[in-house]
Amino acid sequence: MFKRKLQALNNPQSDFNVNDENCWRNLVEWLEDQKIRFYKIEDRADLRNKSSTQWPKAFVKYIQDLQCPLDGSDRLAVCDWILGHAIRLEFGEKAQMFKGEVAAPQSPSGPVAEDPFASIDVSSPDVKAGLVSLCSLLNIPRHVDPIVTLEAIALLIKDRLSEDAQEGEFEEGVEVDLSEYEAGFDAKDPVLNDAGRILRLLHINELRDLQTKINETIVAVQTLTANPKTDQRLGKVGR
Amino acid sequence: MAATVREYKEELKYLNKLSDNCWQIKKGFVDNMKVEGRFYVDSKLEKLMFEELQQACRSKGVGGFLPAVKQIANVAALPGITGYSIGLPDIHSGYGFAIGNMAAFDMSNPEAVVSPGGVGFDINCGVRLLRTNLTEKDVKPVKEQLAQSLFDHIPVGVGSKGVIPMGAKELEEALEMGMDWSLREGYAWAEDKEHCEEYGRMLQADPNKVSARAKKRGLPQLGTLGAGNHYAEIQVVDEIYNDHAAKKMGIDRKGQVCLMIHSGSRGLGHQVATDALVQMEKAMKRDKIQVNDRQLACARIHSQEGQDYLKAMAAAANYAWVNRSSMTFLTRQAFAKQFNTTPDDLDMHVIYDVSHNIAKVEEHMVDGVQKTLLVHRKGSTRAFPPHHPLIPVDYQMTGQPVLIGGTMGTCSYVLTGTETGMAATYGTTCHGAGRAWSRAKSRRNLDYQTVLKNLHDLGISIRVASPKLVMEEAPESYKDVTSVVNTCHDVGISKKVLKLRPIAVIKG
Repeated sequence: MFKRKLQALNNPQSDFNVNDENCWRNLVEWLEDQKIRFYKIEDRADLRNKSSTQWPKAFVKYIQDLQCPLDGSDRLAVCDWILGHAIRLEFGEKAQMFKGEVAAPQSPSGPVAEDPFASIDVSSPDVKAGLVSLCSLLNIPRHVDPIVTLEAIALLIKDRLSEDAQEGEFEEGVEVDLSEYEAGFDAKDPVLNDAGRILRLLHINELRDLQTKINETIVAVQTLTANPKTDQRLGKVGR
Repeated sequence: MAATVREYKEELKYLNKLSDNCWQIKKGFVDNMKVEGRFYVDSKLEKLMFEELQQACRSKGVGGFLPAVKQIANVAALPGITGYSIGLPDIHSGYGFAIGNMAAFDMSNPEAVVSPGGVGFDINCGVRLLRTNLTEKDVKPVKEQLAQSLFDHIPVGVGSKGVIPMGAKELEEALEMGMDWSLREGYAWAEDKEHCEEYGRMLQADPNKVSARAKKRGLPQLGTLGAGNHYAEIQVVDEIYNDHAAKKMGIDRKGQVCLMIHSGSRGLGHQVATDALVQMEKAMKRDKIQVNDRQLACARIHSQEGQDYLKAMAAAANYAWVNRSSMTFLTRQAFAKQFNTTPDDLDMHVIYDVSHNIAKVEEHMVDGVQKTLLVHRKGSTRAFPPHHPLIPVDYQMTGQPVLIGGTMGTCSYVLTGTETGMAATYGTTCHGAGRAWSRAKSRRNLDYQTVLKNLHDLGISIRVASPKLVMEEAPESYKDVTSVVNTCHDVGISKKVLKLRPIAVIKG
């Protein structure tokens, strides 16, 4: 999943398994030695001692020194951040070189212009840093894929914080007792079962929207076709 | 094939009580049983079942219908049956299959059959429930006028004719399209389709498989209620057992007024069944299909006759949905006129619409393996559990609503489907009270004036086309609907949500 970032950094590996401890430590060492160069060479000893049990501690200190907003517990997220950080530094150094290579000018018309998000480069470090601070501000968890994070933020704002949502909030906001709903399966874990129930409710919500759209379509067609008639003269009561 | 005649005491050896409300019919009770039988009864209903069997033993199997237990067993002897032949608590003798019998046939078995007797003559006879936002208080003062207005809008009785103009071409379209026809023509609301079993249209319907005779009978009858046990009732919510499920159905208080329409496919469905029985007798001879009872005429599902019947049955089912939709339209008009408002403002939405007499292709788990079955439900109702993909989105969390019509003057119930029922009865439960007495016995033993007076004393307004036949439908002629419903609830094949009490009835 980090293929393109590794490529941008001219790393010899095409991709790597973030859960492989060896690969991971090698990558961190390589990034510091070749790209980030935050510590002086003699200060890198702890980070270079990859077989030591003290390495994780050294790594946590390292990312703190780099002012990484993450605590290091989520390896995927921290890997993504550190690669992004390295690319930002790399770009800063070689900015002159890249200057000539501006992408083809984007046409301002068409759907691109209508959708402000279409022009955002989500992999840019600035956007990511922005997302991270938005997440901590809104108190929602981050996802490795910045687009997913962005979508989550957009949903929260649309459903909870926008003017429309704030007006409607009084009608909504029914407190739901999850135990009233059947998940339809038993995961043998109350927390998982509750999660299942929540997923069911979210799914039903989407289905309801779809069914409402279907009904609206039928009603739209009815305005063209419907012409109900009755003729009392035809009626006859039996015996 | 002659039925084995045994002493009552001998017969009892084949019947075994498995639990409080469930009985087993062992193989050997009748010849050739492929699977065992099961029936669900409480102590009260149990007595009726056994009296009927005892009676038949005394008369040595001569005359009248076979007792329901024998009929369940004969169905268990049909080729390709899977699981059990199941009797629901409201079971009583019928043509071939008992009314209240569910039997499923394995589609992957080339020998498996479809039987018109397993569907019944009134194809897709069913019940529809509408809600309103009125309360008993609003309706009581105008109850008589409303009953009269409904009677004026919905033609009832044998030989009645409908007020919706229909030509031969419209009928063909209605047979093919079911409720989509009603929608297109503007007799139904978009939401009605959403809250109808099968979305009000069986896609395999083929009007070309319906005989000219059947169409001729069906043409003038569209939008008519019919006779027999069919009725339209104004009811009020008497009891709410499950608040959450009731709320999902738009019922939030006792005394809320609802409307129940119980009707089917009229003469058209009857003719489709009759035509098919003739064809199937031929097919049975050709394919050498053995059955215990001549009334169990059937054909292999994949034979020409089997397929023709299923396509014609689907068309008749579509007719029944158009019929109930047309009556819904007329009912909405009657109410709107009476209260000088619109059906929309009265919130007259369809809660649900169930089929009682139908055969459907469904997916079920059989011994842990998913199989495609042809499920015959005669006098029984589909009751799918929560999260089943074929039930409306609004009922995904509660399970499918099951509408149990009582009889004149008694209560009706709304239940929901359960997982237990899905496993035990292929998602099937009871359909109503079920006859306890034959029509002839009711006529002999009851006086129509007393029956009408009793209803009047209960505060029920009644409009009826043929008062001299009301004793056939009197509460005394039927099993106790509360017993039937409680048995289903206790066994767990469906759960109680609402109890409804009638305040006005119109019938044939």
